[in-house]
Amino acid sequence: MSVESNNELASARAQETSDKKPVLEAVGVGKRYPGVVALDDVSISLRGGEVHALLGENGAGKSTLIGILSGISAPGSGELRLDGEKQEFTNAAQAQNLGITTIYQEQSLAPDLTGLQNIFLGREPRRRGLFGRALLDEKAMRSRVAPLLEEFGLTVAELNQPAGSLGALKQHALQILKALAFDARVVILDEPTSGLADHERLSLFDHMRRLRDRGVALLWVTHRLDELFGLADVITVLRDGRHVAAVSPDTETPETLVRLMVGRETPPGVSGASSRAKRWTGAADEILRLEGLSRGVLLDDINLSVRRGEILGIAGIAGAGRTELARAILGADRIDGGQIHMNGRQVRIRSPRDAYRHGIAIVPEERKSQAVFGDFSLTKNISISDLRRTSTARLVIDRRAERKQANEYVDKLGVRTSGVSQKIRNLSGGNQQKVVVARCLFSGPSLLLFDEPTQGIDVAAKSDVYRLIYDFVDSGGAAIVISSELPELLRVSDRILVMREGRIVGEVVVGGDADLGSEEGVLAEKIMAMAARGGAA
Amino acid sequence: MSGTNRSTPVASQLSGVLSSTSSGAIAILILVCVLATSQSSSFLSLDNGFNIASQMVFVLLLALGTTIVLITGGIDLSVGSVMGLTAGVVAYLVSQGLPLGVAMLAAVAVGALLGLVNGLIITKLGLPDFIATLAMLGVARGLLFLWTEGTPFIGYMSKPYYVIGGLERPFGYLTIPIMVAMVATFAVFAVLKYTAFGRHCYGVGSSSDAARRSGVRVPRIRVLAYVVSGLLAGVAGVLLAGQTTAVAPDLGSGYELQAIAAAIIGGAALSGGRGHALGAVMGTLILAATANAMNISGVSAVWQPVVVGFVLLLSVILDRLTEKQRGRSAHLPSAPAVATAH
Repeated sequence: MSVESNNELASARAQETSDKKPVLEAVGVGKRYPGVVALDDVSISLRGGEVHALLGENGAGKSTLIGILSGISAPGSGELRLDGEKQEFTNAAQAQNLGITTIYQEQSLAPDLTGLQNIFLGREPRRRGLFGRALLDEKAMRSRVAPLLEEFGLTVAELNQPAGSLGALKQHALQILKALAFDARVVILDEPTSGLADHERLSLFDHMRRLRDRGVALLWVTHRLDELFGLADVITVLRDGRHVAAVSPDTETPETLVRLMVGRETPPGVSGASSRAKRWTGAADEILRLEGLSRGVLLDDINLSVRRGEILGIAGIAGAGRTELARAILGADRIDGGQIHMNGRQVRIRSPRDAYRHGIAIVPEERKSQAVFGDFSLTKNISISDLRRTSTARLVIDRRAERKQANEYVDKLGVRTSGVSQKIRNLSGGNQQKVVVARCLFSGPSLLLFDEPTQGIDVAAKSDVYRLIYDFVDSGGAAIVISSELPELLRVSDRILVMREGRIVGEVVVGGDADLGSEEGVLAEKIMAMAARGGAA
Repeated sequence: MSGTNRSTPVASQLSGVLSSTSSGAIAILILVCVLATSQSSSFLSLDNGFNIASQMVFVLLLALGTTIVLITGGIDLSVGSVMGLTAGVVAYLVSQGLPLGVAMLAAVAVGALLGLVNGLIITKLGLPDFIATLAMLGVARGLLFLWTEGTPFIGYMSKPYYVIGGLERPFGYLTIPIMVAMVATFAVFAVLKYTAFGRHCYGVGSSSDAARRSGVRVPRIRVLAYVVSGLLAGVAGVLLAGQTTAVAPDLGSGYELQAIAAAIIGGAALSGGRGHALGAVMGTLILAATANAMNISGVSAVWQPVVVGFVLLLSVILDRLTEKQRGRSAHLPSAPAVATAH
């Protein structure tokens, strides 16, 4: 019954907003930081019941704009209007009280608090008690959330769990409920699909549609152009802090959008076609072979081999065991059974250090927490994988040699930086990723493992990273690429293994032709079917 | 964390708190009791229970404040010194002829004020909690030394102060310090559990970013946590001065470490977001019971810090083990990083 009334409510609200008056507008806003113009005369208007996509490369000013719209930072020039009236936010809380909620890329939930506690964090309903209205009113919290739970795929039990124990999609749902519980009129989503598996992304899109149907104005930042079509109503493109275009998805293609974002022709390797000069032919020595690798219920009898010059893709939905496989190869988890062979010899890998010694290096998924030393210079970030090599008598670090090495890699990999002594945290995600790859290469590996190699990096840097993978295998290495983005896997892999429930359930050989066209779609469907269920061939 | 609402709330919350945060502590408490009882039958007597309670009152008051600060992700090293200084305030003001009530209020206010200073230094100047409160530890201790000129304050005791200090017991076992500790425990329990401030403490400690983005005034919560901690240290100082009948320049030194140990044994995490008032009680009780057990079984006092250190380690290790068994560690976001570390 509540569903029905909700629907009525939704349609009523949709009616109200059908004239599409802007709810929140930024008019000619600008923002300067010392030495940088982060945002220059940008205007955007968000309308109720509309999904507004915001595109731009890293550094284009998206984060700055979001910061201004959500009240975290004040615009240096220009103004914000709410319902047509000028409005100044002094902090995030004020913006939220006015109905503007932002759902951030990093999960902005307190992991130790329960779902319910998170939803109302900062705006807890109070009840009258001994000391005025100091006491929390948990009953009110529950009753306010109850009618929304089912719609956004959450259960009461999940509300009582610590938010940190829930999966990424459920955490997004919590944040959406958090927005709705406070009658949000504008919801800003900052790359909400990163870290979600494909079927979870679809659920999230459903959530976004429900928000839209309730008359909420959505601002949606994404790096994945393929997501936009069918969901976004308007697309605003930023470049170098400026407003480049506001277009309709009906008139655009991913290629035209990329052109708007980068302001030049589509970089190679982005548009579906592979830029890899030569494809792997199949006949070469085996670099890595796994035989019957098992770990509890997480990995079950994994057999695979990767040969010199080959890029092996690993597909599967979240929880299928992809990351566990990477961790097992790396020695981060103890395996229960099975054998690992490197270059034809059986090896025991009990720690990442062992893996490094046997020539396996990994580009981890979580760049910030698992890969970079934020306060270290580029040089130190690169050399740490094999400090002895740049040390005199294997003891004293030769800083000149260290820097020279770093310079070579920075040139070779095309890292955009002011110098190798720059702190890595000041680089964009894409350039950080290149430095992490440089570190791996520095250890002289024969197998590189990429876990979500292009997560959170912009389009141009993506193709750079792909090129690094190609260069590595073309120069005699082998690579394993784990990715939840199927188009990415289809683009870079020679062969794709599909995992489900800790097992390898299928294998797809990607065609050798550069232009795959429709075949890509067929393969993608095949992989999805296997990853979802019952496709074991 | 959130007790179920079905059965009697207090009982279920009690069991919820005990089972969720201090399974290691309970095991150790039982162990201590069994060992002590086997050594001396007087351990479990009512009189000895009273001894333990009297001994633990001061650390408990500090541990309650420390628990709040730890929950917000901070740490307060200054509570022992602040307690000593506030004891000095009472002694001095009374000896200057001020009424006892005024002197006590002033002392508690000084405690809260020093907490406020801690909090403001941390939030306004952006100093790390550890450094700011370490500095306060030194400053407050040094002030007491300067003020007393190295010799204890004495001669401030009066009949009501003997009652307040628990040296005279008009209500039998229920001395004023014990009652104050009980009230404080209940108050901290209720504040953490049922008020927005308490909820915000957990939020700030669990993820200050998330809290800030949820509109929680993070700096204010952190400052308030230090104010409460300082205030409780002030209360403890007032009671302590009444019990020692003399305020030595080093009164209360080392208490901060006992308070932190007690809070952690009770389930608080240095990383923030976790901790409970009843956990602080458990932790303090274990420390006090251990010390008491060693006393009555004739173990040299020199051994006590060693044993306390082991108790601390043991309780945290036991907690870790049970947590792992329950699979709680599996969902921590940093699980891969943690596992990579070994």
